[in-house]
Amino acid sequence: MRNIYLMTLFTLKEAMARKVFLFFIGISILAIIVTALIFSLVDTQSIISGFESKAGNDLLVRNIVSSLEIMIISPLAGLGLLLAIFSSSSFVPNMLEKGNIDLLLSKPVSRQQLLWGKYIGGLLVVLLNIGFLVIGIWIIIALKFSFWDPTFLWSVLIITFTFAVLYSLIVLCGILTRGSMLGMMLAYFIFLILSPVLMLANDKADIFFKNDTVKNIVKGIYYFVPKTSELMGKMITELATGKGIADFQPLVSSFIFLVLMMVISIITFRKKDF
Amino acid sequence: MGIIETKELTKIFSSGSKKVIALSEFNLSLERGTIFGLLGPNGAGKTTLIKILLSIIFPSSGYASVLGRSLSDYTVKEKIGYLPENHRYPNYLTGGEVLRFFGRLSGMDGAVLDKKIDELLELMNLTKWKKTKVKTYSKGMMQRLGLAQAMINDPELIFLDEPTDGVDPLGRKEIRDILLELKSRSKTIFLNSHLLSEVELITDRVAILNKGKLLREGTVQELTEKKEEYRLSVESSDSSFKMPAVYNGVMISNVKDNFYSVKATDTNQLNQFIDYLRQNKILISGIVKEKSTLEDMFISLIQQAEKETVQ
Repeated sequence: MRNIYLMTLFTLKEAMARKVFLFFIGISILAIIVTALIFSLVDTQSIISGFESKAGNDLLVRNIVSSLEIMIISPLAGLGLLLAIFSSSSFVPNMLEKGNIDLLLSKPVSRQQLLWGKYIGGLLVVLLNIGFLVIGIWIIIALKFSFWDPTFLWSVLIITFTFAVLYSLIVLCGILTRGSMLGMMLAYFIFLILSPVLMLANDKADIFFKNDTVKNIVKGIYYFVPKTSELMGKMITELATGKGIADFQPLVSSFIFLVLMMVISIITFRKKDF
Repeated sequence: MGIIETKELTKIFSSGSKKVIALSEFNLSLERGTIFGLLGPNGAGKTTLIKILLSIIFPSSGYASVLGRSLSDYTVKEKIGYLPENHRYPNYLTGGEVLRFFGRLSGMDGAVLDKKIDELLELMNLTKWKKTKVKTYSKGMMQRLGLAQAMINDPELIFLDEPTDGVDPLGRKEIRDILLELKSRSKTIFLNSHLLSEVELITDRVAILNKGKLLREGTVQELTEKKEEYRLSVESSDSSFKMPAVYNGVMISNVKDNFYSVKATDTNQLNQFIDYLRQNKILISGIVKEKSTLEDMFISLIQQAEKETVQ
């Protein structure tokens, strides 16, 4: 555990030395300040009275608050994830550079510990950044509406989990190619294109595909590929509105993908010559 | 059991259908407290051997142990130091931070580590650079920092791959002194170097590797000694005496003035020749066994190996 902890700390230091993480923190601070400024100029009563409610006032406030939270956090978290993928994709290739990996492997540290240290370090960086952003926005909105519902804070874990799944793929690609490009491109492809397309294809499979074989192949791919769209969209909305997660399948199948990627990464890394 | 033992150690790198034998059935037994020099041209397999011994790469076949333990036991590295060729440190770390990071990875911590860092920086003349980022370090400074890093855990066995690369003559002398000091403390040093004159100065044992094969292994003296070849210096009292070119099977050639090179098949033959000189009232002022330099021996051995490969 000590070695994993040391490698995690080392990865955090590496992340802090990168400009992109500072940029991410900068954007988060800016977003929090802008949100605070906007809300300081807005009269909450006028917002509340602008909506008609058949339900009670509390429910109305809850709906407004969660809508605002989703409206502000979703694009920022998406941008944050893109930045996180960009920055973290070089963590493993940097570790595997000649002259660096030789030194690390000459120390009493197992290869598995090195890899877990890099992985946890990367996750921790994203967790801290996303946590800072989400909690900051949440506090501002909660203060303004005097409505303190912590369920939205679960989205910090969902966003970090989404990154964890994509990062496991980045780690594997990093080990296989000793470069950052393939992992980064695949992660972007899944996050921006494949996952949204597969989500739509799966929802509308009966309409899109008449042939059962094609339909099953598409569904198979859908279940294999991480469901970043569902995680970052539907699941965050469900949590923010306090409905709770209706379907755990995207979470479970993405987790299986993560485990698979990490198992292959560890097996490959343990056998690789450097 | 030696501190390093290898038996039929082989490494074959495969790239598609192409196979390269980087190390072929390499056998070695190294005693504790030795400075061992591994020599060979580029691509001979020197770094491959070190990397196998540190489990950075894995052997294709054969067996090796370090400090009496199997290579698969990574905890053995608590007692090993390594300075790789072309080592790289994260450029956002300072010299002190580099040593702290690798010291902690080696299992050290707290005041003991702090003290060790200061001691090593002092030893390597880097104290005033402790808080400077390594990206501003010169090649020589990086090499000295690398050596400090290899010594941070007070290892029993140190692997050094080209330790004096990029270091000026004064710095090289300092590194040599450090290595000799480590030897006096019973540390074992495994040295890869292209600088043969340097290896000759400090190593106890030397192995020569070419294309993955061990050509020769022994002490520097064993390797540089010319068999039954002597340098003779004489003072002739009889001006009419003419030194023969061959006497009773002994080959004599004049090197310069009164210095001769004498080749005899054994000591008996040499003594018969000395008797002959004494009978002719020749005064012998000195006789020493001929030695070649490590560099001469290295070059002739590699050339011979190349010829045999061509044939």
